[in-house]
Amino acid sequence: MIHVKELNKYFYVPHEIHALKDINAHICEGEVVVVIGPSGSGKSTFLRCLNRLEYPQTGSIVVDDVDILANACNINKVRAEVGMVFQSFNLFPHKTVLENLTMAQVTVRKRSRKEAEDKAMKLLEKVGIAEKYNAKPEQLSGGQQQRVAIARSLCMDPKVMLFDEPTSALDPEMVGEVLDVMKALAKSGMTMVVVTHEMGFAREVADRVIFMDDGQIIEEGTPEHFFSSPENERARVFLSQIL
Amino acid sequence: MVVFSGLDRPRGGAYHAFWGCLFFVMLFGGCWVMYQASKSVDYTWRWYRVPQYFYYTETVDVRSEIEGEVTDVATRDNTLLMTVQGSGETATYTLPDGKSLLDEGDFVSMGDVLGTYEKGSPGVLMTGLWITLKVSAMAIVLGIVIGLLTGLARISENPALRWSAITYIELIRGSPLLVQIFLWYFVMGTLINTILSSHGFPQVPSMWFGILSLALFSGAYIAEIVRAGIQSVHLGQMEAARSLGMDYAQAMRKVILPQAFRRILPPLAGQFISLIKDSSLLGVIAVRELTKATRETVSTSLQPFELWIVCAILYLVLTFTLSMFVQYLERKAI
Repeated sequence: MIHVKELNKYFYVPHEIHALKDINAHICEGEVVVVIGPSGSGKSTFLRCLNRLEYPQTGSIVVDDVDILANACNINKVRAEVGMVFQSFNLFPHKTVLENLTMAQVTVRKRSRKEAEDKAMKLLEKVGIAEKYNAKPEQLSGGQQQRVAIARSLCMDPKVMLFDEPTSALDPEMVGEVLDVMKALAKSGMTMVVVTHEMGFAREVADRVIFMDDGQIIEEGTPEHFFSSPENERARVFLSQIL
Repeated sequence: MVVFSGLDRPRGGAYHAFWGCLFFVMLFGGCWVMYQASKSVDYTWRWYRVPQYFYYTETVDVRSEIEGEVTDVATRDNTLLMTVQGSGETATYTLPDGKSLLDEGDFVSMGDVLGTYEKGSPGVLMTGLWITLKVSAMAIVLGIVIGLLTGLARISENPALRWSAITYIELIRGSPLLVQIFLWYFVMGTLINTILSSHGFPQVPSMWFGILSLALFSGAYIAEIVRAGIQSVHLGQMEAARSLGMDYAQAMRKVILPQAFRRILPPLAGQFISLIKDSSLLGVIAVRELTKATRETVSTSLQPFELWIVCAILYLVLTFTLSMFVQYLERKAI
């Protein structure tokens, strides 16, 4: 599904940082991959490269058989197939919940308004928030907003879903409702790449855990193996700090 | 609207009553001082002469265009109809609410007065106000379009677009509007009108060059306001829109600009208000807007104080209405 080869990403502003160092990764169809690591380790940058919200300097990324770093690549088409959920939700505050969900369906997928609204209502029901369809995002709690954001991405019928720390901005009591939605999504067979600090989620849902530090993938493996007996010293230190 | 409410101890009723009263005391005090000052000036105030510059009635003489006999004087629906029968030709004249000076059977020569009627016309200040309104409205609409496009070009990655926008903004903002109006009318205007006339097209009146120069002038300021508005929208909004597969233009139109628009309304209102006042410079290229009309009236009536005060009040009416309208938009947008 996603093939990443020798990816290098540098930031030059405010000063030069080698954010990703020779990253190689493969994500298969239907797989749930959780990326963990200390802050500043490059895990968010890695995720954002996958739908080219960041443009890496060297390497190659192939998503669904499309080389997204090629000049000929129509990135908008690829992005429509790759859902993205942000830490800060990024719902459109000037639109209602329903309009948030229908906008891209109508403009990108060229669905009719009726079709888009039916799809949106179905997904709102799925994330358990259908009664708020006419509310503005600011009237919702953080957990509700994040569930709307997930539904907004799902409206496009994506083949992959990317989650960039989806629960980090939430109050503790709202983390559960968002994780439940993500667990249900994983069970339905969706390909998912999740950057998170929720170790419980990783342990329960992930097919594979990727541990990143200092722009490199340090360790990779099943959650059972990773959480019980990490091979790398840095992974051990990280786990001892957060668990 | 209070921005930071609730950060300090709540104020009681006495607080609002006292400072509210003080405001009105200052307001009336200010008015009283102005009134006393106006009385102390050695000047005869003749406010009663002002209304005629808004609306006046004149007596129109209707003259016969042929030689002959008045054959019919009839009144129908308050309109006087007079028919003159000449040798082989008949002419009928209509005088709304008119007064006949002749009777049936009277003989008239060509050019004789048949009757008179009263005709009301908008005064010179009224037409001036209308032209100011028209010029400002068109310049605002055109200025928004220019400003929006320039603002978008200003943040574009394309060097040709971005540098053009910067050059345009800096040139226009850095030079006097009066000089720009002169250049547009006397240089560009002459060129355009020469080309048009050599191809047999009608001339473009000076008002259009005035509108163009005003629109280009305010467009430069609006461009910077638009740019600031776009930049104030959180980067995550663009990322969310693009990550859903929208292209740059779609994301701009549907997500960024609607949010930016709400934030830039207050500075835009300020820009429109100065545009209305800047339109007073168009007098120099013979557009008879409000200021030019006032100046002309002053030179014939010798009532400078009344007329200039009235002129200021008329501008105030325009700008205050506009500012109320923008505040209404602001409330609606939230």
